[in-house]
Amino acid sequence: MAKHEMVEHEARQIREALKQSFPPVNTELRRDLWPAVLRRLDARQARVPWYDWALIGLSASVFLFFPQLILVFAYHL
Amino acid sequence: MDLFRRFALGEIDAFETLVRQFQRDVYAWIVRIVRDPGIAEDLTVETLWRIFRARHQFRPDGNFAAWARRIATNLALDHLRRKRPEQSLLREPAGPPAPDQLLQRETREKIQQASRRLPAKLHVAATLALVEERPYDEIADALGTSVGAVKLRVFRAVRILRKQLNHLGVRP
Repeated sequence: MAKHEMVEHEARQIREALKQSFPPVNTELRRDLWPAVLRRLDARQARVPWYDWALIGLSASVFLFFPQLILVFAYHL
Repeated sequence: MDLFRRFALGEIDAFETLVRQFQRDVYAWIVRIVRDPGIAEDLTVETLWRIFRARHQFRPDGNFAAWARRIATNLALDHLRRKRPEQSLLREPAGPPAPDQLLQRETREKIQQASRRLPAKLHVAATLALVEERPYDEIADALGTSVGAVKLRVFRAVRILRKQLNHLGVRP
């Protein structure tokens, strides 16, 4: 048997073995996934953006180093 | 303005139309790779979300289905890499099996084990080409590579599987 014939024979055997071992899967989608996608999008949008966290961090640092500013800040609220 | 252009601009109505149009194709592609309907649904939702997130990278005159398939394939590959190797893909009927059924089941399980031990890229190429019999150009497009590279991956997968099955004492 020529080499390429052996390779093809081997591939055919493995293909048959794999097809018998992996049962066919149902490729039909059981439900509409749009509501789940929408929830995923909403969850993402509800997240606090990075610049809000940066602002909170900056304010906390200022109050930590200059605690007297808390009173000034409270007066202006 | 056409649907793809509106999607690329971030219009949610356009995206909803595309989801309803393509979700079945994306799911069918993923379930062929992961072979578990529940996991395939989760990965389809994740794929569709990533599609929306990457909308600026989509060229409105491009092939949306092929682009979606590529994102889906990458996610399915990541899932296969993370998945525990001992997870079973086969659902057997309840009740004690006959001795020849037991032998067949054992052989199938060994072949599945050997296939799951392949590197994820080889496993996906072999599953799509040999089990699902998808066209090589479609697989190449989804994996972001050439037809030649897919053929090489399938060839390597066959060689490795042959060696592993010989090692396990299984003759296909």
